[in-house]
Amino acid sequence: MKKNKRIFGKIVMILSLVFFYLPIVCVVIFSFNGSKSLTVMKGFSLQWYERLFRDSQMMESVYTTVLVAVIATVVSTFTGTLAAVGLSKSRRVVKDLVLQINDFPIMNPEIVTAIGLMLFFITMRIERGLMTMILAHIAFCIPYVILSVMPKIRSLDPNLADAAMDLGATPWQALTKVIVPQIMPGVFSGALIAFTMSFDDFIISYFVTGRGVKNLSIMVYTMSKRVNPTINAISSLIIGVITLILIIINLIPFIRERMTARKKAAETGTAEE
Amino acid sequence: MHAVAQLIHRNKGDTLLKRFSQLAVPYIVWSVIMLLLPMVLVVFYAFTDTGNAILTFQFTLRHFVRFFTDPDFLLVLWRSLKIAFKTTVICVILGYPVAYFIANSSDRMRNMLVLAITLPTWINMLVRTYAWIGLLSKGGLFSTLLGYIGFKDVEILYTETAVLLGMVYNFLPFMILQINTSLSKMDHSLLEAAADLGANGVHSFLKVTLPLSLPGVISGISLVFLPAVSSFFIPKLLGGGQYFLIGNVIENQFITVGEWNFGSAISVIMAVIMMLSMYLVRTLELRNSGGVREA
Amino acid sequence: MEDKTLIRFRDIVMSFEDQLVLKKINLDIQENEFVTLLGPSGCGKTTLLRILGGFLEPTEGQVIFGGEDIAKLPPYKRELNTVFQKYALFPHMTVYDNIAFGLKIKKMSKDVIEQKVMKMMKLIGLEGYESKNVTLLSGGQQQRVAIARALVNEPKVLLLDEPLGALDLKLRKEMQYELKRIQQEVGITFIYVTHDQEEALTMSDKIVVMRAGEIQQIGTPQQIYNEPVNRYVADFVGESNIIPGRMVDDYLVHFDDHDFKCVDFGFPRNAPVDVVLRPEDIDIVPVDEGQLNGTVDSVLFKGQQYEVIVETVPGTSVTVRMRVVKNNEVTSADGKEKISANDFFVDIEDVPSLDDKEVIARADAQAWDPSTDEYLSINNIQYEVKAEEGEYPVVFSTANGTMIQKTIYVVNQPVVKNPKANEAVMAFNFFKTVDELQEAQALDTDLKTWASAQAWKLSNEDESVDIYVDYDFDLENIREGASYPVTFATTGREFKLRTTDYVEEGAEVGLRFGPQDIHVMHKMS
Repeated sequence: MKKNKRIFGKIVMILSLVFFYLPIVCVVIFSFNGSKSLTVMKGFSLQWYERLFRDSQMMESVYTTVLVAVIATVVSTFTGTLAAVGLSKSRRVVKDLVLQINDFPIMNPEIVTAIGLMLFFITMRIERGLMTMILAHIAFCIPYVILSVMPKIRSLDPNLADAAMDLGATPWQALTKVIVPQIMPGVFSGALIAFTMSFDDFIISYFVTGRGVKNLSIMVYTMSKRVNPTINAISSLIIGVITLILIIINLIPFIRERMTARKKAAETGTAEE
Repeated sequence: MHAVAQLIHRNKGDTLLKRFSQLAVPYIVWSVIMLLLPMVLVVFYAFTDTGNAILTFQFTLRHFVRFFTDPDFLLVLWRSLKIAFKTTVICVILGYPVAYFIANSSDRMRNMLVLAITLPTWINMLVRTYAWIGLLSKGGLFSTLLGYIGFKDVEILYTETAVLLGMVYNFLPFMILQINTSLSKMDHSLLEAAADLGANGVHSFLKVTLPLSLPGVISGISLVFLPAVSSFFIPKLLGGGQYFLIGNVIENQFITVGEWNFGSAISVIMAVIMMLSMYLVRTLELRNSGGVREA
Repeated sequence: MEDKTLIRFRDIVMSFEDQLVLKKINLDIQENEFVTLLGPSGCGKTTLLRILGGFLEPTEGQVIFGGEDIAKLPPYKRELNTVFQKYALFPHMTVYDNIAFGLKIKKMSKDVIEQKVMKMMKLIGLEGYESKNVTLLSGGQQQRVAIARALVNEPKVLLLDEPLGALDLKLRKEMQYELKRIQQEVGITFIYVTHDQEEALTMSDKIVVMRAGEIQQIGTPQQIYNEPVNRYVADFVGESNIIPGRMVDDYLVHFDDHDFKCVDFGFPRNAPVDVVLRPEDIDIVPVDEGQLNGTVDSVLFKGQQYEVIVETVPGTSVTVRMRVVKNNEVTSADGKEKISANDFFVDIEDVPSLDDKEVIARADAQAWDPSTDEYLSINNIQYEVKAEEGEYPVVFSTANGTMIQKTIYVVNQPVVKNPKANEAVMAFNFFKTVDELQEAQALDTDLKTWASAQAWKLSNEDESVDIYVDYDFDLENIREGASYPVTFATTGREFKLRTTDYVEEGAEVGLRFGPQDIHVMHKMS
């Protein structure tokens, strides 16, 4: 009886994993297709990748995507971390209010955030293009940084900064030498979320861009109306980049654990000698 | 800036707080301009008409009247709610057993499986939706498979089924992860207690596990239903040009037609409907859990 | 004599959002002193310490340190260091790096830092722990690191904010000695904040007792313990019996109906005072040798000693009956007015002093408009009472003629007298409805009023004595027509004392104490 249930569960689990991964695997496979078909494989070829790299519009969108993602990540991580530290020491009313506003882009449907920003740029007479895309990305990335840094700050001993200043550190030294090292894991995961959010973003970029500035997602969207395996090639690249990042992230704690374990083993080893 | 700083730090005497709370000042200014103001603008545009001169705005309910008197728009709204509802139901039905299996695995296995479910969600939603085009088109993997079991030449792509499939595919992980969180947090001694009190498997599931995992299901529902109602590229990519949802209407008004006021009004209507439906679900949950407590 | 004052707090006022936390604190602290700020949480002791540390800026006042007002100086420019509650060690640094933090900030050379840190490691007895992760240390070890981290900067003053609070009892005792040893070894001023009076008595050269933002007393542990200035200090520091009394003359205090010789003087004649008798200063002796006699109420074994409670004055009590009556309302014919009242008892002696007001109050007579619930005045009262036992009718009526008749019972109510306690208690039976009982806002007080319960000193009828109420009915389940006993009693007097000899519970004993054991304090304002 129990065993049957387990087997049933296993089947459901495997089926759902197939469901999740099959389309992704197919995209990657068909990016190497010899023909233009998205349904039948006709030999292995790298022609779609070649085409991709020769397509100046495509390459420009890659450049745009990475540029926007890097700038948005750096700016939002920096601002978000400072804001989180500041808010944790602010009055409760202020903190709650700002966090409420902070939740807008997380809670609202993306399309609402997108048209809001679009209307904002139109009303402010800011011409839409690369600059507005970067601003918009920073705007929706900071909330995620704050969200991942805030709990780390909350778990800190409230006297840490006091202690540093008591020992002669200026407020800035207390921040950089004591507070920031403590919340680094939160800052790091905040930066990571910011990067992938920005790298993957379609809806907001789509509404706030202009003057022909396109990131990869917009390219995929505008090209997907026709059958075009170059999309598979670019999609495979996106999948590759994101998967690589995620694997590295998930391996780091594992490797670190290994290293400390080895170090400890070495230490006890010498102690025994 | 200084005035803002004066306002935010907790009390006058605390020298340290005074210094650190100032770090939030730039972001407070930024969030008001870049997060709050845009939302205010959406509402503002929804209720106004732009006159000839640039700075003459007129209050109007015209856009709302237009939406609610046009059967085409109402049909689209109805269709969006229907497909979002179907998506949500399917996600609960598919997601619960998967989450249950994950929650009952060993710690190591659970972490692996959670990671496996999370990984795809980090990949661009657009790319993942695009992936289905090849699978669902004529001669693709799905129609080939269907062909083997006797359904020849079935084309799923550009039908409602395809859109539904795309939505389930994109949003199911959220449901699984939410339910899994609430199931994993559950105290296993409760189940043992239930068994001890003579409850059999089905009984203890219905009386203990299910009610306790309800909060997870509820937050899963909000994570599926809300984006499903407002999605616009899934119907565009998998539904073809004909299958229009409310998100597509909004996109159209802003990108193609350029009627921002009307587009904003539709967004406001959509946002209000979402809030109402989530409120409804929450109250249902509250009543439910209240009932359980009484029992 | 050379002035060794290091720190002067001058008129320090601190307020947080309209709340006054410190009210004009003035305090001098000398060099090389171990000073303890003692008080319950919320008394302002930590606030005062944080002002000195530079983490708070006082609303008013000066902090003079080495001749300079440092009230507005940020913490990193002050020559003092702090050991925080829960230590606030930097978790991402090793023991060595934690201790070296302040020296590195000051950009000292590496070998100087190493030399100083090692000296500290020796002082706190943690040699060999340099490269340990601080989060892996025990509470006591973390405590030592926190002290070393502060002391390595060679401050003139070390501030300690309840540093032993997180440790268990045994470790706390050890650390008390350790802290005292370190203070004597480094020879600087320690300012120590705690709510633990025992800690304060053990370690301090000087104790500052605080309460609600004010200093109550400053003194050596001996002074604070033996000569507390008021009831608050006596109560907070050590255990004590505090008895209200009267200063008859210099060296003569009156309490519990006896005059006692004491060593205190300088009070105004007959000034009301509080008297402290420490439990260990009272001896148990045979009955005829005691200055006060009493019954042993309880005996608790406390290790080396017994803690004995002796009741020298028993409480005085009187029990009356509370009769629960039916609804006592009368409604006017047109239904627009209601009136209610109760029967009541009155003592023969009080009959002459009865007037309309008194009768209304005793009968709890009320008239009101049921539609608006507004009170109406009762403007006609008819009664005729004689100073003779018996029942007399009384009629209350409103201007519109709505009336109710009740009975006044004149009785010769016996007074319960307790000559031993010099007390008398009196109370009357009374009538109440269920509603009146259940609607009572403060039942104990109401019961006293309804029963006209009072207690006074036999020697002086004008001196009233506190009474408490005892009853065992349950408000939810009272029945109409039933009557319930209600007891009014005084507490009497109990003494707590410590003795090594066992005494039997219930035994009659005498209590003895000398003039030097009695400490007389001013009444608290």
